[in-house]
Amino acid sequence: MAIRPDQEIPKLSKELCNKLLLDLEKAKRPVLYATKCSLDNALYNHKVGYLTPGPKKVATELNVSSVKKMSRAIFMLEIILRNIDSGGVNTKRELYYMSKGEIKHNSILKPLDFGDQDESDGTIDFICELLECYREDLNCYANDRGGQTYSQQLVVTETLPDGDTAVIDLGKLGTTPFQPKNRPQNLKLKAKEKIDFCLIVESEGTANTLVANGFTKRHPSILMGAQGVPSNAVRGWCKLIQDQLNIPLYFFGDLDAYTMQNIFRTLKAGSAASLIRNSDYSAPDVRFLGVLPEDIKKYDLLDYPVKENDAQEVRALKKAQDALKNDPFFQDKRNKGLTEILNWLLKNKRRCEQQAFFTVNPRDPQMPEKIIMEKIKAGKFV
Amino acid sequence: MVKKADSKAAAKKAAPKASSTPSAKGGAASETKGAKASPKSAGSAAKKTADADTDAPVRASKASKSITTSSTAEYFSKNLQQVGFSSQVKAVLTTLKEAVDNALDACEEHGFLPEVEIWVEKIGAGSLKNSDQVRIRVLDNGPGIDPDDVPKVFGEYLASSKFGRGRCSRGQQGIGISAATTWAQLTNATGARVITKTPKMRKAMSCTVEVDIKHNKGVLKDREMIEWDRENGTSVEFVIDGRIQLNGEAGLINYLTGTTLVNPHLTLHSNLPDLGRQTVERVTQEIPAIPEAVEPHPHTMKLGEFIAHSHLFGRVKVGAWLKKGFSRVNEGTLKDLVKAGIKASLLEKSVDGMNEVEFKDLFTKIQNIQLMAPSTKSVLSIGEEALAKSIKRLGAVDFFAVVTRKPTICDFKPVEVEVAVARLEDRAMEADAPVQVLRFANRVPLQFDKAACAIVQALTSVNWRAYGISQPKEALPQGPYIIAVSVVSPFIKFKNASKETVDASDELVEEIRRALIQAGQRLSKHIRKEDKANDLEEKLRHIEQFCPILVDGLCRITEASEARKKRAEDGLVKLLGRDTRVAEQELAHAHVSLEKMTAAENADPSLAGTKKGSGKKNAEKKKSSKKEAVAAE
Repeated sequence: MAIRPDQEIPKLSKELCNKLLLDLEKAKRPVLYATKCSLDNALYNHKVGYLTPGPKKVATELNVSSVKKMSRAIFMLEIILRNIDSGGVNTKRELYYMSKGEIKHNSILKPLDFGDQDESDGTIDFICELLECYREDLNCYANDRGGQTYSQQLVVTETLPDGDTAVIDLGKLGTTPFQPKNRPQNLKLKAKEKIDFCLIVESEGTANTLVANGFTKRHPSILMGAQGVPSNAVRGWCKLIQDQLNIPLYFFGDLDAYTMQNIFRTLKAGSAASLIRNSDYSAPDVRFLGVLPEDIKKYDLLDYPVKENDAQEVRALKKAQDALKNDPFFQDKRNKGLTEILNWLLKNKRRCEQQAFFTVNPRDPQMPEKIIMEKIKAGKFV
Repeated sequence: MVKKADSKAAAKKAAPKASSTPSAKGGAASETKGAKASPKSAGSAAKKTADADTDAPVRASKASKSITTSSTAEYFSKNLQQVGFSSQVKAVLTTLKEAVDNALDACEEHGFLPEVEIWVEKIGAGSLKNSDQVRIRVLDNGPGIDPDDVPKVFGEYLASSKFGRGRCSRGQQGIGISAATTWAQLTNATGARVITKTPKMRKAMSCTVEVDIKHNKGVLKDREMIEWDRENGTSVEFVIDGRIQLNGEAGLINYLTGTTLVNPHLTLHSNLPDLGRQTVERVTQEIPAIPEAVEPHPHTMKLGEFIAHSHLFGRVKVGAWLKKGFSRVNEGTLKDLVKAGIKASLLEKSVDGMNEVEFKDLFTKIQNIQLMAPSTKSVLSIGEEALAKSIKRLGAVDFFAVVTRKPTICDFKPVEVEVAVARLEDRAMEADAPVQVLRFANRVPLQFDKAACAIVQALTSVNWRAYGISQPKEALPQGPYIIAVSVVSPFIKFKNASKETVDASDELVEEIRRALIQAGQRLSKHIRKEDKANDLEEKLRHIEQFCPILVDGLCRITEASEARKKRAEDGLVKLLGRDTRVAEQELAHAHVSLEKMTAAENADPSLAGTKKGSGKKNAEKKKSSKKEAVAAE
C-alpha cells in the first residue's frame, strides 16, 4: 500500500511553496499542474487492471481570480502540516472548524473565511490534487463506512500509531464484524486455515443474513458487506485481501446499471474521479457473481421493469449508454462479459435485485447460499 | 339560428301581409313579435292561425309604431361605460384624459408648443352613492376654438375633424369629450364650462356646453364674451361625480407621468390634491411634424366602405377616382385591372354612374391584384432622441435604452413601435415587484385591462432572463425598471371604444416583441459592463486582501527570510496588478467617453438622446432607418 510516509508530505509541501515563492520573487506567474481526474483522461489496460491517469493536466495559474483559492489552500496546508507534525488526525469537518478557529483568533485572516464546509472540503481536495496525494496522506480521514467483514479463518494484525500491535482473530468475534480502517497499510492478514474465497455482498443486510444463517461456518471464506458504493476503506481492504491472501474475490449485487458502473466497476478498476488513487484502491481480480441476466431465467427470479419516472434509474441507464461509448473499462475486450450485461440492461430495461434469490425457495433459509455456492462451483460469474 | 328560422316561418304563416312592410327593421321586428306569440298559440294552432289572419295588419302597425330611432347621444348617454365611464375612478381619469388629449391634438395641429395646466380637486359629496364631487379643469395655450365650433366639439357625438382621415392623432372618433360632458350633465346637471379664445378674437368666449341628448346637438348656455389674460387658448372645466385615485396603475399620477414621457414637447403644470402645483418642463422645443394624411389602401377596405368612399368624389371617372382616392393605385394597377377582366370602358365611366354589381366586381378584382403595402409615412413617432430626453423626467434613472423601430405594416396598417426601458436608481425598493409597464397608443397612456393588451402579451413573451432581468415563467419581468411601449398608427385597433387596450394581433405582438428584444439587448450590454466594473473592484480588493496572507503563509512553510518575503510581495502585487490594469483602463475609458458625451450634451442639447443605451450609433441608425423608409416609399 503506497500511502506516503509522514515525512514525505511536508517535504512535498515545502517544495511546492518554495516554487511558488521563487516565481513570485521574479514576478513570474506561478502555474501549478495537477492530474486531470475525469473519464476523458482515463486509460485502461487489462494487464494493469484499473483505470490509470492519461497525460492531461489541469493548470492552475495564480491570477487575481485564483489568488483567494490559492491563499486558502496555503492556509489550510499549514493547518494540515501542523497535524502531520504532531501526529494528529482529523475529519474534513473537524478541519473546517479548526480553520474557523484560526480565523476567529486572527482578524487578518478574515478574508479567507469559509462560508460553509463545502468550501473547506474543496480546498482540501485542491491540496490533494496539487500534491497528488490522498486525503489520508494528509491525516484527514473519512468516517469508516461499509466493509463489515466476517470469517472463521482470518487473523488481522494491526500496527498502532505508537508501534504496538493488535491481533484480531475474526473467528473469535462471533457475529460481530471486523471493520477495516482507512489506513490498510497498517494491517497484516493471515489465514489460520485455508480460505477458499472472499464474497463481497452489495447489501450489508444480506451479508448479515448470510452470516447469521451460517455461511461462514459452512464455507471457509471471507464475507464482506460493501454497503453500496464502496468507500476508500472497502476498496483498500479488498485490495489488501487480494494482494495478501491471493484468493478469488466475488461480488454479489443487484443486476442494474447503477450497480454495474458505480459499485462493481469502482471496486474492480477504480473510478475516474480517483485516477491517482486507483492503484491502491482497486481489486482487479474481483469477479461479478451476479445477479446475472441468465440467473433470472435459470432460477425464475422476480425481476421488474425500470421505472420511467425513476430519475435515478433512468440516469443510470443513460450513463450506461455513455459508458459503453466512452469508458475505457467497458471498451476493453477482456471485459466483454460486463459490457454484454450493460447492453442487456439497456435493451431489456429490466432489473433484478440480489434479494430475488430469496424467492427461489422461501421456506429454505439457506437457498441464497446454495445458489451462490452453485454459481461459484460452476464458474457462473463474469 | 333554428329558432329564428322557425319564428320566421311562423310569422309568415301568421301574418302574410306583414311581409309587405317596407322597413326592413319593421319586418324583423314583426318576425320577432310573431315568434314571441307563437308559443302561446301552440295549443290550438288552427284556430289561432285563422285569428292571426285577421289581426295581423293591426299588430304589424303596432309593431312599427314601437320602433324608434335614438340619437347617437342617447345611445352613448345610456352606455357611458363603453367609453370609459364604468367606475367612479375611471370617470375622473377619462374626463381628464379626453380634455388633455384634445388640448395636445389641437396644439400640435396648429404648431403650438403645448403648455397645459390641469386642476383636479374634490369639492364636495357627489350625487351618486359613495362618490365625490370632483372638479376637473384643463387649460391649454392652444389655438382656441372658433365659437361656432364649441357646441360641436363639446356637445355633439361623432363630430370630429379626425375621424378616419388616416392620420396619427390621439382622438379619432369625436366621442370622448362629448361623453365627459354627458357624464357631467348626468351626475351634476350641468355640462362643460368652456372659455376659449382664438388669436383673432378680441375677447374670449365663456359658456356652458350641454348635450341635447335627444338630438345629438351641443347647446350653449350662459354665453358671454369676457376679458381673458391670454392671447389664445382653451379652458374646459367639468364638475362630475367620481373618485380621485392618485396612485397605482390606474392613478392620475401614472397617467400624467406617461403623458409627459411620450410628449417631450409638453410643459405640464398639475394641481392634484395634497400635491400642490407641480411643473414638468418640456425637454424639447420641437413640435412634432404632423404627417400628412394618407389616402386609404384598397386592401384595408370592405365593399361598403369602398362604395361610400366613391360618394366623396362625385362625377369623376372611375380610373381617376381609383388613382386619386386610394394610395398605392397607379396607372399600372389600372392596366392590371383590365387584364384581370375589368372592361376598359368601365374605368372611363363616371363613378356616380356605377351600379352595385359594377362596384362589387371592381372591388373583388382589386382585392386580388398585388399592390404595394400601405405607406408608413403617416405614422407620428416620438423619436429616440426625444424619448431619451423625456425618460429622465420619470425620476432618478441610472440607465435607459430607447428603441424606435422602423415603421412597418401590421395587419395592413402602418405601425411604428417605440420602446423605452429605464432602470430606477432606487433599486432595493422594488426588487421583487413586476416592472412598471407604461403603455401608449398614439401617445395616450393606456391604464386598464392590461392582460389582454398586445403590449403586455409581447412583454411576457420575451425572455428577459437572457438580458439579466429576473422573470417568473410567462409573466412580466421583475425589478426596478420602467418599460414604456408606444404604438403609433393612424388606425390603431383598440378593443373597445374607451381605448383601453390594443388588440393583440399576432403581427403587432411580434413587432412589439422585436422592439423589446432590441431594448433588452442594449440593457444587457449595460448590465454586463456594470458587472465588469464590479469585477474590477473585486479584483483590486483581492490584491489588497490576499497578497500579504498568501506570501506570509508561503514564507512560514518554507521558513523564508524577510528579504525573500518582501521580494515575493512586490512580485505578487506586480503580477496581479497586470491583470487589473487592462480592466482598469477599460473602465477609465468608459468614464471618459461618458463625460465627453455629457459635455457634448450640455453644449448641444440636440445630442442628449445619444447618451448611454440610446447611443450615438442608434441615432445614426435611426437616420439610416429613416432613409431606408424613404427609399421604400
